[in-house]
Amino acid sequence: MVRLITHNLLSCHAKGCTTNNFPLQFKDAEIEHREADFNPEFIRGLLPKIEWKALVDTAKELGDTSLPYEQPEMMDDELLKTLHHVLLEMHVEEGQMICPNCNHVYPISNGIPNMLLAEHEIA
Amino acid sequence: MPPKVEATVVDQDAQKYEQLHVHEVYEQIAGHFSSTRYKPWPIIACFLASLPTGWVGLDSGTGNGKYLPLPADRPGCLMTIGMDRSQNLLNAARTAGGTDVIREVVRGDVLDNPWRRGIFDYCISIATIHHLATHERRKLAVQRTLQAVSPNHGRVLIYVWAIDQDELSKRQIPKDNETRAGQDVFVPWVLSTQKKSEADSVQTQSQVYNRYYHMFAEGELSALVHEAATELGMLVDRESSNGDPGTRGVEVVQDGWERSNYYVELRLWENGQI
Repeated sequence: MVRLITHNLLSCHAKGCTTNNFPLQFKDAEIEHREADFNPEFIRGLLPKIEWKALVDTAKELGDTSLPYEQPEMMDDELLKTLHHVLLEMHVEEGQMICPNCNHVYPISNGIPNMLLAEHEIA
Repeated sequence: MPPKVEATVVDQDAQKYEQLHVHEVYEQIAGHFSSTRYKPWPIIACFLASLPTGWVGLDSGTGNGKYLPLPADRPGCLMTIGMDRSQNLLNAARTAGGTDVIREVVRGDVLDNPWRRGIFDYCISIATIHHLATHERRKLAVQRTLQAVSPNHGRVLIYVWAIDQDELSKRQIPKDNETRAGQDVFVPWVLSTQKKSEADSVQTQSQVYNRYYHMFAEGELSALVHEAATELGMLVDRESSNGDPGTRGVEVVQDGWERSNYYVELRLWENGQI
């Protein structure tokens, strides 16, 4: 289950790939929605770590356009609920994540992304 | 009586050695291992319970993910993402906690860094670094934990197996009393499988898998952390308010021994730019 919270923290780490290596782009993503308990305080605490543009672009790639393009200064409950859904309730079960810079493919199988590199690719 | 722990020598390429004596063993024993590892150790539970709501952390070498559901009294207040090399252990970690909640897990190597630098608020590495077969690799693993967390508030907890064993421990450890160095050992895991024979009598077959461990000597973990942090240009000291701007450091919050393990808790700090 790559959820967008995890996706927003991952970046490509193949040898020599140090710029434009975030966010990874989903391909052939199969998504499952699972309800999670809403905890507004958790979402507020989480926000400083989130790259907003990457989150909005990736959600859009996966067909969810519920987030505003610019990060609002005030977070009301409705927006926190939207964030909760986008970050924590959309699970990518199968597919791939591809580095926008070096095109390295990180496969996702049974909800688990494989970030292992071959020996010669390790930085 | 459990089979005896035996001294071993890492006599080949460390990576291949770990592949054979750590990674392949865990893939084989994952199911049985996971069913015996469910009780969180108190120091780690306490550490996680002390963190503020909204923090996101990495469990580097998560195994069957037993720390992912914590803290028990505030479920959903932290998000700990589990990373491990073993696919079979990750499959167990996904549903750690036994509720319907699915945990975030990623297949990765503790010596790699597939994350945005310094993005986590905390990182735990529990019973993992002792599976690395050289001092250099263990140091790199410590450095990966320091690089994973925020340079100005990141918290790190590392736990490794100690050469000094609890009296209650079932294990007999080969120990060289002359030196105070750590000890490379094989720890056997006995996997029993029951098979029905032709005559319908049940036969139990046992297979022994030897796992590689580096058992830490007293002071070895602290020295390793000191060396790892210094190499990254960090002071190992308390934060001082009159330091130069941009100075980075790591404070040792606690450093001790608990039930056959050494642990160290760290807090990163950074002096602000003027």
